[in-house]
Amino acid sequence: MAFAKPSIKRRLVRYVPSITIMVAYSCIPLLGIRGFWLDVLTRANIFALLTLSLDLYSGTTFYLNLGISFIAGSSAYVVALLYRYLGMVPEYSIIPAIAVAIALSTVIFLPSIRVRGVYFSVLSLLLPLIMVSLITSQPLSLYLGGEGGIPLPSLFSSYARMLPPRERIPFLQLTWFYLTTALTIVAAVLSYKLAYSNFGFMLRAIGQDEELAEASGIDTTRVKLLGFLVSSTLAATAGALYAAIRPPVTVDVLIPANTLVPPLTAVILGGMGTIIGPLATNYITIVAYELLWDAIGRWRTIAYMLLLIVLVILKPQGVVFHIYLKLRKAIATKLSSVTWR
Amino acid sequence: MSSLLVCEGVTKRFGGLVALNNVSIEVGKGEILGIIGPNGSGKTTLINVISGVLLPDDGRVIFDGKDVSKLKPHVRVSLGISRTFQGSRVYPYLPVYYNVALSARSVYRDPEIARAKTNWALTVTKLIAEAVELPINLTPFKLRMVEIARAIVTNPKLVLLDEPFAGLSAEEVEEVIKIINKLNNLGVTFIIVEHKLRYLMKLAERVVVLNNGIKIFEGPPSEAIKDREVIQVYLGGGVS
Repeated sequence: MAFAKPSIKRRLVRYVPSITIMVAYSCIPLLGIRGFWLDVLTRANIFALLTLSLDLYSGTTFYLNLGISFIAGSSAYVVALLYRYLGMVPEYSIIPAIAVAIALSTVIFLPSIRVRGVYFSVLSLLLPLIMVSLITSQPLSLYLGGEGGIPLPSLFSSYARMLPPRERIPFLQLTWFYLTTALTIVAAVLSYKLAYSNFGFMLRAIGQDEELAEASGIDTTRVKLLGFLVSSTLAATAGALYAAIRPPVTVDVLIPANTLVPPLTAVILGGMGTIIGPLATNYITIVAYELLWDAIGRWRTIAYMLLLIVLVILKPQGVVFHIYLKLRKAIATKLSSVTWR
Repeated sequence: MSSLLVCEGVTKRFGGLVALNNVSIEVGKGEILGIIGPNGSGKTTLINVISGVLLPDDGRVIFDGKDVSKLKPHVRVSLGISRTFQGSRVYPYLPVYYNVALSARSVYRDPEIARAKTNWALTVTKLIAEAVELPINLTPFKLRMVEIARAIVTNPKLVLLDEPFAGLSAEEVEEVIKIINKLNNLGVTFIIVEHKLRYLMKLAERVVVLNNGIKIFEGPPSEAIKDREVIQVYLGGGVS
């Protein structure tokens, strides 16, 4: 046969850099990093889920899903509402919230997923804005928390209360970090496998020529819907975790500038559809943004935006994934010279 | 010869323009049918209606005894209708292998069969050496081969070729003709839309001539070039 699967050795060599990075990242708290920076990394983990959500669907199909704010926001609000009206704590409400958000977004987006063109992107941009208006308008604001949001206990706080007071916050920070890290690793591995599977290549084919894809045998509606469902699951998980870890839930979670722009930036700079590039860029940009505060204070937003503009102009196809490829090639060359027993 | 494809009174309108007006054709199993006509005569529209890219406003498309008029293109592919497009449409940023393999994978559930069929299609079209290349690095001839490989990988009963010889040299056209003949000998039926009548005459047993969406002639190519109406609307007084 002319083309066959690569050998186990080749596949192992290919995954060495990624596995090393994942293990090293999980060991960060062992280096004594706590407090503010552990919080930053937990937030970066949640945004990594949003980045994966955006890259897996929009990075491959080029159907820009500007509605991840809506999906994440729906999930966050369901977590908050389940506590407010049913007294359900986040430990129990996260999974139902994810299911409700996926169902809601599928019902709303399904008609636009079925057709070609910009309808999906336009609808996805409008939805979070409509939801913000609804939540802050009378009389719905009385039930949905309005601009003040809905307070709720944070995830695992009931367990933390059993500990001595000075151990509670470190316990919560560590637990949140490891929970979000574990979920991000699982999501990253699954997203990577999907993006580079036949299914992922079908999504890419749809992105490059949907009419051709349909005419050459691909059930484009089914493939797009499945891709959207996976992407929605990731966004809904991020939203539910965000609500559970950073209460209260306010309309901020629905505003695209907060929950869409950072992942979108990561996807564009990282290299659309590459999964690894946007994922790495997500962490780099979030950590760099915080480091800039120490260096230049409030000027960081302007400096950050200028850097993004320059990078997008110089490397419109993305920067980080190409650096990763060069690193991987160098490591693979090195490793392939090692004798395998 | 039993019929593989029957188009009954197919009509397609785009607003006020009637692109196909009550066109009926019948294609036998294992036949090679040529469709000719001047620009804008409705040839590609007919291919689009048969493949499902466009739905007819009136009339029916019956394939292998089944009415497929309302079926989506990917369903028709699984039933055995595949096609190429005018001007070589490929996925520009997917390697040649995936350009072909995705069609195979959409039809065959078993990945091993899909892989074997992909390798077969790449071998028939002599694309093995280019399998890992991106189509943007290929010559027009190789791009045409990618399209043909993608069309044949799904094990079709009927292949619709839209201007397969456009932009190719005489030697390259001969290569394409060899592949068409080879597949036809295996029982694959072809409908070929083509401007280069001299090449079509080598292949097609029958031609259908369209003009302004109306079928004006159906018969052997040797008679088409003698038909007064065909000469007037298409050939302009002689064979190209």
